[in-house]
Amino acid sequence: MTASISLSGVGRTFGATRALADVDLDLEPGVIGLLGPNGAGKTTLLRLLATALPPSQGTVRVLGRDPQVPAERTEIRRRLGYLPQEVGFPRGFTAFAFVDYIALLKEWPQPDARHAEVRRVLDQVGLADVATKRIRAMSGGQRRRVVLAQALLGSPPVLILDEPTTGVDPEQRVTLRTVLAEIARTSIVVLSTHQTEDVAALCERVIVLDRGRVRYDGQVTELVRQAAGRVWLADQPDPTARVSWRTGTGRYRNVAAHARDGVEHVEPSLEDAYLLLRGDLPHGKPAEEVAS
Amino acid sequence: MTTTLAPTRPEDVAGRTTFAALAARALRRFVVNPVFLFAVVFTAWTTWGNPSTSVTDINSVNWYPAISLGGFGMMATFWLTRSMRDSEPVVGVTPTGLPVRSAALCTVAVVPFLCGVLTLLAFLHYHPLNARVYGAFSPPAQVAVLVGQIVLPSLGGPLLGVALGRWVRFPGAALVAFLFLFGWGNLSTVPSLTHPDPTASTALRMFAPFTHFTFTNNGTEMTTWPGSPWFFLGWQLALCATAVLVALLRGAHSRQRTRIVRTLQIVLVVAAIMFVLAVGGGFTHAVRAR
Repeated sequence: MTASISLSGVGRTFGATRALADVDLDLEPGVIGLLGPNGAGKTTLLRLLATALPPSQGTVRVLGRDPQVPAERTEIRRRLGYLPQEVGFPRGFTAFAFVDYIALLKEWPQPDARHAEVRRVLDQVGLADVATKRIRAMSGGQRRRVVLAQALLGSPPVLILDEPTTGVDPEQRVTLRTVLAEIARTSIVVLSTHQTEDVAALCERVIVLDRGRVRYDGQVTELVRQAAGRVWLADQPDPTARVSWRTGTGRYRNVAAHARDGVEHVEPSLEDAYLLLRGDLPHGKPAEEVAS
Repeated sequence: MTTTLAPTRPEDVAGRTTFAALAARALRRFVVNPVFLFAVVFTAWTTWGNPSTSVTDINSVNWYPAISLGGFGMMATFWLTRSMRDSEPVVGVTPTGLPVRSAALCTVAVVPFLCGVLTLLAFLHYHPLNARVYGAFSPPAQVAVLVGQIVLPSLGGPLLGVALGRWVRFPGAALVAFLFLFGWGNLSTVPSLTHPDPTASTALRMFAPFTHFTFTNNGTEMTTWPGSPWFFLGWQLALCATAVLVALLRGAHSRQRTRIVRTLQIVLVVAAIMFVLAVGGGFTHAVRAR
């Protein structure tokens, strides 16, 4: 059976604030990128998928199971890896001890098998050499990789990653991409990030959220294609452009809502396409208020 | 006749093994906790290292183990319970639910309990039964008094620490609870000093997880207060069970929660019955002896 996740009419409110509204998604194995500004509802969506939060409306099915039903939720959690945005660590724990404890909670009671698995995932994220170092003495990037390591335990069929590359150095990001691409052959990997280059490098499919609603759901190449002819370099910022910024060469990169002729067009990036998509929307309102 | 056995699900076996492994890990972390180690050293010092031969009343020595093993044990389990709080975003989405983790934490109370049993044996060695210091109780009742003053507080304190750790956010909650219980345990005996016979005095004294049954005035007149040490043990055990159930209640899903709440209701009824019997049992009036 192929792993799958489906959301139908899913909404989530926190008091008077609507974090998600009418989200319909079907996710299959592969790396799915989740983009959106701060407060778009990305973390809320990931927490729903990770069974950490129930929806206020609609239905969620993860691997054909309903997370609202306690027994089915436990079944989902047996097949889930989750890297949340923020995690604290218990005092005195080493990387190995922390991941080992999570492995125990993930029902790996046999010490030998568990320790081998812990060593494997720590090696995958490049922490084998510092496995016995106390987490509180580690750098931010290393701590992030400790949390990522626990998510990779048991190569789960569903992997939910909330900004996994924050604070991680470029070399490790490349390694991480290789690891995720390998896992995504059989698993659903949902990756929320602000790093469009990670999405461009890893994902075939991207979902853009804005104010709790799905703004775009499709192939990365298609989103980038929509920006074709709308990105160009010039010596000055173009007043008609949606956004322009000075690049390292001293020239300005202009991204406009409409295609322009007679300018020096360049290949659009996913970031350009994302900015164009975002440009169609009013700014500064992170979440929608629930109509009373 | 053939008997069909229901097959054990692999998940159940995995769950039990996980619970055992979690309990073992919690035990290892608990026994190296500095607060608990201090409690053990303090208890050993007061019991073995410095046995007083001139004790005129067991009340002058029997609260040391209750304070150290029970009180400091409560602080240690409180810390242990809270230690994973910051990791809850990760820990909370594992297949091992919060009630299972709470139950594993509750098992660490067996360590202070056993320390309490050892302390009781040492206590009996240094202060043999039938000595005047125990008051007018029979030898079995004297043992019951000591079990209630040494062993059960050593069990109940750590269990209360787990329950507090699960429900109270305030980081100093265990210290506040410790000071409150210590204060209450002492203040509630004050009315019995001057008016030991009224039921209200006995009830006030018994409405605590630790109580005194005797009092000596200047080392001369020994007073044995009313109240049943046996039913007081029942009251204490019911309080221990309440602490466990309250700890398990946190994070329990709907069906589990219903079961726990029902059990809690029964335990609270039992506690009330034990309390009434503890207050009404034993000597009906204070027994004085010179």
